[in-house]
Amino acid sequence: MFIHYIDLAWRSLKRTPIVSLLMLLAIAIGIGITMTSLSVYHMMSVNPMQHKDEQIFAVQLRTMDQDASWWTVDNLPHQLTYQDAMNLRQSPVPFRQTAMLKTGFGVKPDNANIAPFMEVARAADSDFFAMFEVPFAHGGPWDKRIDLQGETVAVIGAEMNRKLFGGGNNVGKDIVLDSVAYRVVGILADWKLEPQIYDLNNGAWGNNEQLFIPFSLLPIEELKSWGNNNGWKYEEQKTYQDKLNSEVVWLQYRVELTDKQMQQDYRDYLAGYIKQQQQLGRFNRDDAQGDIKYISQWLDYREVVSDDNKVLVGLSFMFLAVCLANILSLLLAKFLKRAPEIGVRRALGASKTQVFMQHLVEVGMLGLAGGVLGLAIAQLGLHLLRSGFSRYEQVAQMDLTMWLAAPTISILACLLAGCYPAWKVCRTTPALYLKTQ
Amino acid sequence: MLNMTNISKVYRSEMVQTHALRDFNLQVNEGEFIAVTGPSGSGKTTFLNIAGMLETYTGGTYELDGINVGKLTDNGRAELRNQKIGFIFQGFNLIPDLNLYENVEVPLRYRGIKTAERKRRIERCLEQVGLGARAKHVPAQLSGGQQQRVAIARALAGEPRFLLADEPTGNLDSLMARQVMELLESINKDGATIIMVTHDPELARRAQRNIQVVDGQICDFKLYQGGAEQQRATAGA
Ligand SMILES: Nc1ncnc2c1ncn2[C@@H]1O[C@H](COP(=O)(O)OP(=O)(O)OP(=O)(O)O)[C@@H](O)[C@H]1O
Ligand SMILES: [Mg+2]
Repeated sequence: MFIHYIDLAWRSLKRTPIVSLLMLLAIAIGIGITMTSLSVYHMMSVNPMQHKDEQIFAVQLRTMDQDASWWTVDNLPHQLTYQDAMNLRQSPVPFRQTAMLKTGFGVKPDNANIAPFMEVARAADSDFFAMFEVPFAHGGPWDKRIDLQGETVAVIGAEMNRKLFGGGNNVGKDIVLDSVAYRVVGILADWKLEPQIYDLNNGAWGNNEQLFIPFSLLPIEELKSWGNNNGWKYEEQKTYQDKLNSEVVWLQYRVELTDKQMQQDYRDYLAGYIKQQQQLGRFNRDDAQGDIKYISQWLDYREVVSDDNKVLVGLSFMFLAVCLANILSLLLAKFLKRAPEIGVRRALGASKTQVFMQHLVEVGMLGLAGGVLGLAIAQLGLHLLRSGFSRYEQVAQMDLTMWLAAPTISILACLLAGCYPAWKVCRTTPALYLKTQ
Repeated sequence: MLNMTNISKVYRSEMVQTHALRDFNLQVNEGEFIAVTGPSGSGKTTFLNIAGMLETYTGGTYELDGINVGKLTDNGRAELRNQKIGFIFQGFNLIPDLNLYENVEVPLRYRGIKTAERKRRIERCLEQVGLGARAKHVPAQLSGGQQQRVAIARALAGEPRFLLADEPTGNLDSLMARQVMELLESINKDGATIIMVTHDPELARRAQRNIQVVDGQICDFKLYQGGAEQQRATAGA
């Protein structure tokens, strides 16, 4: 019977091609626009390390003096000062931890055919790679010893490896960064971590570095910051050492705390650390406090999915609702015009349920077709977003979930719009149209 | 099999009330062939529609095979109709988008009959009404009389135990009308109960029993003990 309904639905759609086309377009455009905004939203709200969501934490300290305040909702800076980062690195509590700085170099390739270029780099501790599950093709992270002493070693990304060496295992070779030679200890496999949960300061997408060096080199090589530097008071900075001693926040800090106990221990540790620093004359405020936020809290807190995106999704669903209202009225007119035929079917033994199902199948088919066409429109929409705005390059994408969601939403939406017309027509009194032709 | 007591049907529109049926009493036994005559607008079609549960009635009781129809749900009525009742409508009411084959197929589908059996029945019934070669045509390609025959084939294909026919021969020439009448008589002989509305007194006379509806009531009760014998008797006198 179901196949028969499909056959009937197909004939019915063919019989009124213009109306069918209008309905198809209405649903397809509605779905297309909804899926475009929903896909962007979906990609933006992806958590790339769901399996370690409540284990990796960003560390924050409210370091400002009593009368100073920060612009964040919870009055906490996003980053740490050098002093605090160096002190926290001493903590025995975390399973893994890393202080980080976004920096960069002029890279001078060995090969004379390749012009020197500027390259972003990340100074981090060796735990970084394991914490964020960064895959290695050759070699590995530098030794933990180097995290303490500082040594000019580097881990390079797969792309950088191709660019500098044309690929292959080049562990042990040197690269020259700002005229200092760094020995390559590890080469990454192709890798992407987006949104870039370890540092969201300069955009969440498309920023994974190709060059990593030990954080311990920071005072030795006087690494420049290529990221954000924020302060809450005026401090003269004549030398690099002045910056290291300042209250400027410019370093990211992440800890891996594997269980609830460790997390509590770390909170206690932070509280103790603040007390200790207050005795040294820092953190002059009553509500001096530390905080740790796990990945999805951090993504939320940093508004990786902005309110604009949410509003856009809401608006596009409202647009879809308008499309559905149109479809509803078209369906109602179409179905009621068919009432005489339905009267005959009822008289020949069709139950209300069967009539209802016949019409729902028709509406469902419309939804399926609309969903498929809507997918095409959404692809076009995403393509336009990608080509028009570079910041959408990574997020204007559709993953499998969205591919499946499109026809599902479309069919459900159509069934919703079709319920009332189908119910209306199945209530046709059989005899009403039978007396005369 | 059919038992109507004091059935009444009132159509209410904004201004007027039409009493289509009033104090309508009728018993029909299993296997009877009844002809219903009466002036236009007297309530014949209304009676058939109520008998076939296509319409509800305003008063009285109606029992079909001992089941009180007034107590059934809509789905219950649909099921009973589906199982037992065949219709030939006054307007033929073919479905314009379906070809003849598919039109005849409609009630069989709702009855859940298997494809092979459907095909057998449809071909036989279209053959019986002389339209076997036209199975792929759509109703608009047929004359009124041909459409009427399709409507008859559709009713017969269901092999109903209870056939309600509203002027089944209205659009047919007398030869074709006689053939249809013979068809009805043969399925009646096979056990189907038939109620047929007709304006043709000659056809009416061939039925076992005649009832006349005037102004929504059965006015006159002529009982023919076998229509054919009665005819012969009249001819002999
Ligand atoms: N749906 C309706 N609404 C209002 N009045 C109706 C309706 N159907 C029938 N009637 C009225 O009920 C009365 C009986 O109608 P019905 O169709 O039963 O007559 P009929 O005997 O079949 O006539 P004919 O021989 O012309 O087919 C008529 O006066 C008609 O106008
Ligand atoms: Mg009539």
